[in-house]
Amino acid sequence: MARLKKFFRYENVGMLFVLPAFLYMLVFVGYPIVHNIILSFQDVNAGNLVKGTRNFILFENYLELFKDSVFTSSLWNTVRFTVSCLVFQFIAGFALALFFSKPFSFAKPVRGILLVPWMIPITVTALMFKLLFATDIGIINFLLRSLHLIEKNIEWLTTPGTAMFALICANVWIGIPFNMILISTGLTTIPKELYESASIDGAGKVQTFWKITLPLLKPTIESVLILGFIYTFKVYDLVYVMTSGGPVNATHMLSTYSYKLSFEMFKYSKGSAVANVLLVILLFVGVLYIKATTEGEDA
Amino acid sequence: MGEEKRLSKKKNILFSIIAVVLLCILLFPLYWALITSLKTEQEIFRNPPTFYPHILNTKSYAAQVETGDFNMFRSFANSFLISMGATLIAVLLAVPASYGIAKYHFRARKALLLSFLVTQMLPVSVLLTPMFIMFKNMHVYNTWVAAVLADATIGIPFSVLILKNYFASIPKDLEEAAYLDGCNKFSAFVRILIPIAKPGVMVCAIFSFLYAWGDLAYGMTFILDQEKRPITAGIFNFMGQYGTKWSYLTAFAVVTIIPVALIFIFMQKYIVSGMTSGAVKG
Repeated sequence: MARLKKFFRYENVGMLFVLPAFLYMLVFVGYPIVHNIILSFQDVNAGNLVKGTRNFILFENYLELFKDSVFTSSLWNTVRFTVSCLVFQFIAGFALALFFSKPFSFAKPVRGILLVPWMIPITVTALMFKLLFATDIGIINFLLRSLHLIEKNIEWLTTPGTAMFALICANVWIGIPFNMILISTGLTTIPKELYESASIDGAGKVQTFWKITLPLLKPTIESVLILGFIYTFKVYDLVYVMTSGGPVNATHMLSTYSYKLSFEMFKYSKGSAVANVLLVILLFVGVLYIKATTEGEDA
Repeated sequence: MGEEKRLSKKKNILFSIIAVVLLCILLFPLYWALITSLKTEQEIFRNPPTFYPHILNTKSYAAQVETGDFNMFRSFANSFLISMGATLIAVLLAVPASYGIAKYHFRARKALLLSFLVTQMLPVSVLLTPMFIMFKNMHVYNTWVAAVLADATIGIPFSVLILKNYFASIPKDLEEAAYLDGCNKFSAFVRILIPIAKPGVMVCAIFSFLYAWGDLAYGMTFILDQEKRPITAGIFNFMGQYGTKWSYLTAFAVVTIIPVALIFIFMQKYIVSGMTSGAVKG
C-alpha cells in the first residue's frame, strides 16, 4: 500500500485520471481489434460465431480474398472513390476558403452556414442525393433534359459508372466544408505583413499565391489531405444507404463488402479479413499523419 | 490585431451576392428535401418539377404519428436516448483522462496519446463482428445499451484529444494557487480546472452527441427490433420498404436533421473549434 502510494505521488498520479477512459477503450476497442485479427485466421460462420469450436485455417481467408474478384474490385473502387473525392473537395474547399478570407460583410456568417453539410447524419445525406439522382423525379435528370444534354432519363444509381459518380458527388458535398474550414484556419496563420511587402515588391496576385500562400500552407494542406484520405477511405454509411454496393457489386467499397460478407452472407472470418486489409491501409496512412503533425511538437 | 483592410463598397456588395449564390447552390439538397416532404405524392411526380409546394401537404408528418404505420417519433426518442447515453460516458471518461494527459508527465503518456489518436482512425468494419459477439455474451445485444457502449468509443478519443489542449493551456500558477488554498489534486481538478475548461467540455459533448446521432452501422447491427432502433436505421429500413414514397422519406430526413439544426443555431462557435482541432469524423 505504501509503495503504491509512493508510485502515484507526483507525475504518476496522472495515470489514475486516464485509467477509466483507457480501460473502457481497451475493452470496447482494443480487445475487438485483437479478436478481429484472430477471427480472420479462423473459419467462423453463423453456427460457431458465439458458441462452439472454431478451427484455425491460418491465411486461407486472405488467400481466398485475392482470388475473389469482388474483393479486388472493392479495393480498386475504394482507391478510385477516395482519390476522386479528395481532388474535388480539396479544390472546391480551397477556392471557398480563399473567397471567404476576403473581408466582406457576409463572409463569416455565410461560411458558418456552409458547415451544415458536414454535420448532417450521413444516412440523411445519402437519402437526399438519392432523391436528387432519382431517375424519374430527380432534379438532376430534369436539369440535363432542360439543357438538352440528354433525351432519355439516366438511371444514375442502377448503372455502374454513373452510380460511382453519384456517390462521389454526395461525398464531395460532405467533404467541402471540412476542407474549407481547415484551410480557412490555415490562411489566418499567414502574417498579413508578408502580403503587404509582396505587393510593395510588385508581386501579382498569382505570384503571391504560388510563392507565399501555398508554401506557408503546406502543413495545413498535408493534414487536410491525410485526414481526408482516412475519413474517405473508410466510407461506409453513404455507400451502404445509396447503393448497398450495387448494381451487381459495382460500387462495393472495402467497408461495405466486409459488412456484406459478415452480416448478410454470414462469412464472418472472410469479412474480418477484408476489414483487416482496410485497417492496415488506414494505419499506414495514419502513421504518416502522426509523423507529419507531431514533428517538433511535444505531443 | 489591426483593423482589417476594408473592401470598397461596390466590391463588398458584389462579394456578398456571390456568397449568397454559393450558399443557395450548396444548400440546395437540403431545401429540396424539405419542400419534397411538404408536397403531395402527385406533385412530387409532376413534370416539370415544382420549386415550392403548390399544395401544402403536412400529412407525411402527421401520418407517422397517427397510423403507427411507421412511428418516426419513436425512433427519434431511441436515437435521443442512445446519443445522450454515449455523450455522458464520453464526457465523464474523457474529462479526467485529458486532464491527466495534459498536466502530468508520466511514462506511458505518449503511448496513450498515440493510441487515442489511432482509435480515431479505425474503420467500423474492424469492430463490428467482435463487438457483436461481445454484446451477445454480455446479454445487451438488441438493446439500446449496445449502441450506447459502441457509440461512446467514437466520442472518447475525439474528446480526449480536444480537451487535452484546453487543459494544457491553463497556467500552472492557477493550480498551485489552489493547492495553497488547501485543495488537493482531485479537488483542484474539479473546482478550478473543469470550470475553466468548460468551453472545451461543451465541444466534446456536442461532437459526441453528433457522432452518436449520425451513427448507422452500430445501431443497425446491434439492435434488431425496429421499434428499438435509432432513427438513422429507421430511415434505412423505411427506404427498403417504401422505396419511392418520397414525401414520407423526406419527412423522416427532416425530423432527423432537427437536433442537428438546433445545435448548429445555438452552438455554432463550438462547431468551428471542434472541426479545426483535428477532427476526424467517425
